[in-house]
Amino acid sequence: MNLSAVMTEIGSVLDALTGLRVTPHPVKTIVAPAGVVGYPESITFDVETGRGADRFERLPVMVVVADVTARSTAAEVSKWISGAGALSVKAAFEAHDWASCDDVWLREARFDTVTIAAVDYLAVIMMVDVVGSGEA
Amino acid sequence: MAKIHGRFTIITVDGDNVKGTTSQFERTSDAHDVTEYGDMDHVWSGGLGGGTFSISGIYDDTAGTGPRAVLEPLIGSVVTVIRQPAGAGAGKAQDEVEALLTKYVETSPVADMVTWSADFNLSGAVDSTAQPA
Repeated sequence: MNLSAVMTEIGSVLDALTGLRVTPHPVKTIVAPAGVVGYPESITFDVETGRGADRFERLPVMVVVADVTARSTAAEVSKWISGAGALSVKAAFEAHDWASCDDVWLREARFDTVTIAAVDYLAVIMMVDVVGSGEA
Repeated sequence: MAKIHGRFTIITVDGDNVKGTTSQFERTSDAHDVTEYGDMDHVWSGGLGGGTFSISGIYDDTAGTGPRAVLEPLIGSVVTVIRQPAGAGAGKAQDEVEALLTKYVETSPVADMVTWSADFNLSGAVDSTAQPA
């Protein structure tokens, strides 16, 4: 399982959601609404014997929306964070047939304010666990 | 001589390499109490040998190689199990035995990967000859 390939594929799934500007890696500047794929908190090797499986633990997928104090931000972020719907990140991940790994599980999301280029944005940080072959 | 990590273990069942998360190989012997008058402590004699083998792993739905394809059809069958606890290599440990698959289980927790497990009864002698060169 190749980390770069996984991050790229996650980015492609996000990119298919209308209205989201996506980069499959951390960036210095963005234009909201944006999707950014980060690096996992850790990698667990040898989840199975014989290099059968590795696991990327808590890989952050961030959707950066808009000014955290704006009235419209709650409605905006709800489109991406809902469990279902045309712009649901969760639904998009569940429906996707992953090629770079066996499974991507969006397990939780939390909210934060992130400052990018001196602007405060509401960010939804979605944590995914990725499991795939330890050999390829 | 060195301590061995479990990730190197290779298990083959009926010719198929089965990758898992844990396995256990247990050998037993019947024990016959042959204590007689005058003995102050129990005296035992060994009897028939036996044992069990169990393995579990993460469920893989790959046709032809996943546990459901490889193991589930073997329920009730006696097949060859080969265990190489330190991996493959000349002189490394190996156990080869016929074994009856008595149980195959799939478990689906809501918050984790689907897992599987299989239990075997050892049938007949265990060949623990080290792997050939």
